[in-house]
Amino acid sequence: MPATAYERLVYKSPSEYHYMKVCLEFQEHGVGLNTAQFKQLLVSALKDLFGEVGAALPVDILTYEEKTLSAILRVCSSGLAKLWSSLTLFGTYKNKKCAFRVIQVSPFLLALSGNSREQVLG
Amino acid sequence: MVRFKHRYLLCELVSEDARCRLSLDDRVLGGLVRDTIARVHGTFGAAACSVGFAGTIRTCQKFLIQYNRRQLLILLQNCTDEGEREAIRKSVSRSCLLEKESAEELSDSAGEEAVEIVE
Repeated sequence: MPATAYERLVYKSPSEYHYMKVCLEFQEHGVGLNTAQFKQLLVSALKDLFGEVGAALPVDILTYEEKTLSAILRVCSSGLAKLWSSLTLFGTYKNKKCAFRVIQVSPFLLALSGNSREQVLG
Repeated sequence: MVRFKHRYLLCELVSEDARCRLSLDDRVLGGLVRDTIARVHGTFGAAACSVGFAGTIRTCQKFLIQYNRRQLLILLQNCTDEGEREAIRKSVSRSCLLEKESAEELSDSAGEEAVEIVE
């Protein structure tokens, strides 16, 4: 059988932004945060680890659900490491222990609409 | 292995209050710089600069002596009065002597640069 010739085309378009689906968990129940307070929390997480420069990193909250304290965040790709590491090391809010759960990260927002880990089969 | 590169910044502290020069010493200044880095760059910044911070001050001092000597020579050229000229000549020769002494004390590691920042 003759060897087939093929051409492989790879398109690389670096995405300007990265999108994160995150969820904030508190040790105690019943802690509520509105969108503004959630944004303030993100800024203070960045400020703790990366100072004034870090706090100035533009982070957008695309969606926020107060009931579950979950959000979809958008950050420029160059700032992803700073944002993610700030969320990882954020442990207390108003003397209450908490932790960020990073559920999904993608350079494409569409990818966050479905998560194969949460898929229910059958 | 990743090699840490050192960079030196020679700065002039400008203050409205003349008394602040008396209260500032190496340790206080070092603390102030560290606090500012912590404020602007956070925990990450403070950790990044904690390695080998104090050692840089010595190199800056050496450079400052050289710089001041050059300034004195410029002043010498612009001198009008013989008394002033004599005073400056004395300062320059004294600084040369000090530099010779300190060069014998210190053992420098090669490859360190001093960067001058003059306003």
